Amino acid sequence: MTQSISHLDLLEAESIHIFREAAAQFRKPVLLYSIGKDSTVLLHLARKAFWPGKLPFPLLHIDTGWKFRDMIAFRDKTARDFELDLIVHTNEDGAAKGINPIDYAPSVYTDVMKTVPLKQALDKYGYDAAFGGARRDEEASRAKERVFSFRAEGHRWDPRRQRPEMWRLLNGRLGAGETVRVFPLSNWTERDVWRYILREKLDVVPLYFAKERPTIVRNGQLLMRDDDRLPVRAGEEVVNRRVRFRTLGCYPLTAAVESDADTIETVVAETLGARTSERQGRLIDHDQAGAMEKKKQEGYF
Amino acid sequence: MSVHPSSLPANAKVAKKADLKVVADQDADASSRAAADLSKIAPELSGMIRVLTCGSVDDGKSTLIGRLLWDATDLYDDQRETLARGKKVDGGNPDFSLLMDGLVAEREQGITIDIAWRYFDTAHRRFVVIDSPGHEQYTRNMASGASHADVAILLIDARHGIKKQTRRHAAILDLVGVKRVILVVNKMDLVDWSESTFRQIEADFETFSWRFGFWEATAIPTAAVSGDNVARRSEHMPWYTGPTLLQHLEELPSRGTEPKGPFRFPVQTVLRDSRNDFRGLAGTVSAGSVRVGETVTDALSKRSAKILRIATMDGDLDQASQGQAVAIQLDTDIDVARGAVLSKADARPVVARVVETRMVWLSETPYDPRGSYLLRTATDLTPVSNLKIRALLNLETLEEHPSEVCATNDIAIGDIALGRAAAVDTFSDAPETGSFMLVDAITGASIAGGIITAAKAEAAEADENTFLLTRAMLERGLNADLGDRPETEAEFRRRANEVALILRQAGINVEIESPPDYSI
Ligand SMILES: Nc1nc2c(ncn2[C@@H]2O[C@H](COP(=O)(O)OP(=O)(O)O)[C@@H](O)[C@H]2O)c(=O)[nH]1
Repeated sequence: MTQSISHLDLLEAESIHIFREAAAQFRKPVLLYSIGKDSTVLLHLARKAFWPGKLPFPLLHIDTGWKFRDMIAFRDKTARDFELDLIVHTNEDGAAKGINPIDYAPSVYTDVMKTVPLKQALDKYGYDAAFGGARRDEEASRAKERVFSFRAEGHRWDPRRQRPEMWRLLNGRLGAGETVRVFPLSNWTERDVWRYILREKLDVVPLYFAKERPTIVRNGQLLMRDDDRLPVRAGEEVVNRRVRFRTLGCYPLTAAVESDADTIETVVAETLGARTSERQGRLIDHDQAGAMEKKKQEGYF
Repeated sequence: MSVHPSSLPANAKVAKKADLKVVADQDADASSRAAADLSKIAPELSGMIRVLTCGSVDDGKSTLIGRLLWDATDLYDDQRETLARGKKVDGGNPDFSLLMDGLVAEREQGITIDIAWRYFDTAHRRFVVIDSPGHEQYTRNMASGASHADVAILLIDARHGIKKQTRRHAAILDLVGVKRVILVVNKMDLVDWSESTFRQIEADFETFSWRFGFWEATAIPTAAVSGDNVARRSEHMPWYTGPTLLQHLEELPSRGTEPKGPFRFPVQTVLRDSRNDFRGLAGTVSAGSVRVGETVTDALSKRSAKILRIATMDGDLDQASQGQAVAIQLDTDIDVARGAVLSKADARPVVARVVETRMVWLSETPYDPRGSYLLRTATDLTPVSNLKIRALLNLETLEEHPSEVCATNDIAIGDIALGRAAAVDTFSDAPETGSFMLVDAITGASIAGGIITAAKAEAAEADENTFLLTRAMLERGLNADLGDRPETEAEFRRRANEVALILRQAGINVEIESPPDYSI
């Protein structure tokens, strides 16, 4: 008799297995929480993995200071509701120097306000493992990523130093100076993430739902003016449009889409029907070919 | 914050939605449809299958997979567009192989070195395509890719037939436990769609594949460029009445539905909830199934207990089967820690001191008889007291050649003596508790991946150089802070492992004394 098991059940079990392997093998893990839909699923799976116990690791959010306000509110509510140990870290030095996503090139901004503080925080607290929500389907260079992705001293990712993984076995023995990124969602797709949010009835940041929001058009893309730090340039005009977001990040770098989908059902329907891969909505990735791979080598998640 | 309400029509400046690069490509009535019947729009797929593709360079592997994605699945528009805009190959077809691009370094070299994972959905199934390089110098990559697969596509060029390489690939698949293979005979257009050519290759395939442990081996004639017999039945080959590649892949059993074998539950970690006095053993059922009320045994301590609860955050279960991640609560506390394997009393894993193995040497560093190694089995990590290479396997002839050395890409046959007992199975009985990674204790690198062909409970003959590391020695100082509590057993063991490794580097073979309850 062959009974069928849904693909989401298979994915869920695999992710739980990965969480438990990592928690058992590493001395001091942390979950990198970026508030978006992938993090939401990641957190939910972590809670399942250790239920009824508490999460045996804290959450770490790298706050650039430029996240949507709705994201920060959601983050804090989530931490309260689930009694999580949340650590927020910002590159104070970069913030003091006024490094921002408007006046600086995306590559500079990302490095100073995301990559550097991530390394700072990992070093400061001495985490040897960091859970992240990266998926292999996101981008070509991710297609080869391991579940346990090793970083040499200085958090550098070296494609040649990645360990082969076989069967369900996960080898978490660290060499000197090594740390590891753990990707429990490796085998999930964008659609799976949405399907799962729907199935598990998970709360997500309201920005995923369509609503009238103040927007401007810049370089052919819709940006939300979340606060008045985003200058309105000559010829631009702030217009309320009914928009939502497919990915969430720093608001000046995150394009909105016009949409009427204002319930989880309609968003999922729209996403499952939408035929543009999600990274097109993330301005930072348009820099150059192989951009992600470069960023990874430099230590960007 | 100053916001102009939309005095102008919202799209006065942005003449049409279409002028924006990023617009949701929505159906006008998607919303109402969604509300009406969500289960149709966001179905959970009823299964998943992982497909390994292997073949020699230029046989058409990238084209084949690209074609499958193009014809049968949920490719994104931007991917379709890239392809439509790109250069065309013979016959004016898009270059489907562009869908399978990879790391920059590999693009520059023009070869696929690493394993790449791709995901696509047909109406019924999630397909996971694992792309691995075929060349001999990448045997290790292929073996690691294959270890994740439910089925493998062996791709060959119809003009060349089965080559030594194909045999080598089949041997690797068999070694790592792939039970289903599909021989795709590609470029049939270049042999004038000849039935006799195909039949000859099919017959050759049968003669060589019977030697392996495959449950199913099927040959399919295709032309990847034009899509013949990939997702669409070929008009050029009416003589072929079997399934297309897609049909065949959709009909194979889904992941997790295959025969299960004896119950195995490698314990990953212990979960506690002090509020409810809960102590649960967290793990994934790696074989078979178990029900509440059944008695399970920890093979290492030989202690048994009844299953009180099978807990998950979504509620308790009556039964847990292969692949399910759960927390098991026992009716009596039998001090089980990470590394233990729960089974039923009448079908226990072997409490092994020596294992006979076959392994793929993954490391660029050759075998070092004095190296410090650890054996990672399902959830245990055991110091290796001795690793002895006996022979290398010739993948083309399947002959064993005596050897005491081994290096990258070799398939070695060797015996591993363990510093303490570990609960394992032979790979053919229970793959998940019968496979292992050999780990370099110093660098942490994964040195080799292998399968257990035999497990022996008797210790290897101790030579006079063997040192017995007793629990008393450890309790006195190094582990004094741990006390004699079951919760600390995992940490106790970890420290014992490290001491054994250090002594071993000093040339001393170490045997670690078993815990008091263990009656091996
Ligand atoms: N005539 C013909 N050419 C093919 C077929 N499949 C692939 N090719 C060509 O064979 C070459 C190698 O294909 P590619 O997919 O890159 O091979 P890979 O190295 O195995 O990934 C390309 O020029 C393809 O266009 C086929 O069925 N018929």
